[in-house]
Amino acid sequence: MLTIELEGRKIKVPEGLTVIEALWDTGHDVKRGIGCLSGLCGACTVAYLEAGAQRVKFGLGCQTVVAEGMNVIMLPYFPSRMARYDMESMTSPLQELADHYPELATCNDCKACNICPEWIDVAGFVKTSREGGYESTAEKVMGCHMCGLCASRCPKSIAPQYVGLYIQRSCARQRPIPPNLAKRLEQMAVLAEDSEFAQVAALNQAELEVYCRKILDS
Amino acid sequence: MYPADLLKSLELVHSTRERRMAESLLRLEEQQRNELLKTYHPDYKDAAFRNLRVGANKGDRVTHEFADLLESFSDLDHARINLQPEFTTDVLVLGGGGAGVTAALFAESLGARVLLATKLRLGNSNTIMALGGMQASVAEEDSPLRHFADTMIAGNFAGSASLVKALVEDGPHIVKWLLDIGVNFDRNVLGNLATKKAGGLSAPRILSIGDHTGLNIMKVLKDEMRKSSRIELLEFTPAVELTTDADGACNGAILYDLGRRRHLAIQAKAVILATGGAGRLHNQGFPTSNNFGATGDAVVLAYRAGAGIEGMDSFQYHPTGVMFPDHMVGVLVTEAIRSLGAHLVNGNGERFVNELETRDLVAAAIIREVEGGRGVRTPSGKIGVWLDIPVLEELLEKGMLKKRFPSLFKQFRRVKIDITKRPLLIYPTLHYQNGGILIDERGESTVSNLFVAGEAAGGIHGRNRAMGNSLLDIFVFGRRAGLASAERRFAVPGSLSLNHVTRYYDRLKSLRISSVAKSPTLFPEFIVDKL
Ligand SMILES: Cc1cc2nc3c(=O)[nH]c(=O)nc-3n(C[C@H](O)[C@H](O)[C@H](O)COP(=O)(O)OP(=O)(O)OC[C@H]3O[C@@H](n4cnc5c(N)ncnc54)[C@H](O)[C@@H]3O)c2cc1C
Ligand code: FES
Repeated sequence: MLTIELEGRKIKVPEGLTVIEALWDTGHDVKRGIGCLSGLCGACTVAYLEAGAQRVKFGLGCQTVVAEGMNVIMLPYFPSRMARYDMESMTSPLQELADHYPELATCNDCKACNICPEWIDVAGFVKTSREGGYESTAEKVMGCHMCGLCASRCPKSIAPQYVGLYIQRSCARQRPIPPNLAKRLEQMAVLAEDSEFAQVAALNQAELEVYCRKILDS
Repeated sequence: MYPADLLKSLELVHSTRERRMAESLLRLEEQQRNELLKTYHPDYKDAAFRNLRVGANKGDRVTHEFADLLESFSDLDHARINLQPEFTTDVLVLGGGGAGVTAALFAESLGARVLLATKLRLGNSNTIMALGGMQASVAEEDSPLRHFADTMIAGNFAGSASLVKALVEDGPHIVKWLLDIGVNFDRNVLGNLATKKAGGLSAPRILSIGDHTGLNIMKVLKDEMRKSSRIELLEFTPAVELTTDADGACNGAILYDLGRRRHLAIQAKAVILATGGAGRLHNQGFPTSNNFGATGDAVVLAYRAGAGIEGMDSFQYHPTGVMFPDHMVGVLVTEAIRSLGAHLVNGNGERFVNELETRDLVAAAIIREVEGGRGVRTPSGKIGVWLDIPVLEELLEKGMLKKRFPSLFKQFRRVKIDITKRPLLIYPTLHYQNGGILIDERGESTVSNLFVAGEAAGGIHGRNRAMGNSLLDIFVFGRRAGLASAERRFAVPGSLSLNHVTRYYDRLKSLRISSVAKSPTLFPEFIVDKL
């Protein structure tokens, strides 16, 4: 058994449990803050102090295994401002970024936000966002699961996760339609295949099998 | 970090790598395939199934786990609950994953007022976890017809041809819609959508966003949902029962507010069930790749309301679920790893199946190795085989794993296992519910005004879902259900009743079924098996 401090209470738990399992094991009926249980969704963020350490660390509760002397709480949500917009109605959303997230301009690059459990260089993408390097931002936030830990550290109340998402969406929207998709949609518009599909409905199981294998051989 | 006894077995994987790289394993003949499935695939283990004694599908073979839920009572005191609606809406969407949010967006687009209620936080779902990608026939050498044929063959012709037709024909349009709302699918240098091959596909058809496909789609969908004030959201409020009118048509649901610990009734002109799959029922004790809320609630609710179901004896066991370390048991290793040529290696350092066989066959082959004593045991007694991922760096190019699988790389970096150097111990994990509630092409079930979309729906994937078809299915049928349900917004819903539940319970009682299980499950019982 290990002795840890869980949600502000000293308690003994078996070895090898994650923070979430330790909570369940000690009778905390936690549901808020639990999602995939696979380290993929960011629902379960925790803040913890390791025995003897001075610096608080952050991580995912479903993937952080408790250790002797650990002092840990769940931090599954942090309030941050999120702009409201209808992206499909904007012609060049990137130019409107400053209207939706004016606080971005107040960043003084203190790098307090660099606590990402996914090891994303948050300060780095906030900087490229400020400087107009939008494609680079979009690239960097691909692994962001919006847990919001970075926002919890920002002295200027910037929410990097929402800024990143705005930029990611805007960049995607500004790209031209992929030629291969455009071509397929054109082909389908002339309904070349629909007449063939019409036959399908009339086929019995055995005929359907023959039909499908024939398509693949062609 | 691997402990000493696993390191020994790992040595064997490393020392046999060169020899294995020179090998090519034959694909199985039809008879071998059938034999392998019959003997080792969990769907064929007769003792794990029984025939339903009540309801629309009386007599059908289903897993014990589902039969237990369908032949049981709910916690809800149906005779005493207050059925005065606390909210009235046009369309009630249950479930906040990809299918639910898509349905909500499209219902709203036709002017319907929408209420979306979900069990956890919006987006906490299987959708957000999808790694590998989504099928859509956009490649030059591909076509919707090919997609159709591949899907029917993968499902062993048990899928409905008209639903599969809808799936493949909507595919390219769905891609267009997702691009329009700002989803950034990977592209090649020409600006074309990048398409990848996968097991059982006759053309490259998998679209992805690195190995975070579902995450990056779900983020955009959630963001999009906030644009309209016609969509209301209730989080941490799972549905526990549907309601019906005097004719048996669906007209709302009873929800449970997890915070306030009380029930509330919602009246709606149409209801869309999009509560996803059932991995957390842990069929036959298998680990699962699914999220915390995947407890098969939709099937229970719809079945009590009289809806027909299909294929609830067919599940997908994804061949590569993690077996070590303990706290990651069940976590998925994406199929893309196998598609690219990673080896499966048993305790003797041998490959034992062509890794490009379909999921059901590979899973059965792994179970065969383990049952035949050729598995590898972890310190806590779990047994699996090795997935030699580092071989990809030699087969393809150094550095490719970190570049192409950043999500997987990070997941294991946390536990100090470097996937570019170390194989992973894996075993099949319960991944996907192939069957579900029967729907038609508009997404409507056999109960009027009750629509179903996503993993909860049945009839599309037959006995085996091909990789990437589920992500497509949730958007195709989410959209269809959303549009069709919005058209009911001018109807006048009758007063709410739970008469269908009373009738269902009467049947159970007359058969002297007095089950102790309570359904829907809502949350899995956590037995921390290290205790
Ligand atoms: C790890 C993993 C990887 C995958 N990878 C791929 C892939 O690469 N390609 C692919 O095509 N498919 C993949 N799949 C499958 C695919 O992701 C899912 O089948 C699909 O996303 C299901 O979508 P859904 O909207 O139907 O359900 P979900 O996304 O699971 O959403 C269901 C929602 O309903 C909520 N809910 C549950 N019960 C209730 C209730 N009683 N009341 C209210 N709300 C409720 C849940 O909390 C959840 O928010 C993967 C699945 C997993 C688990
Ligand atoms: S629950 Fe999803 S990351 Fe922990």
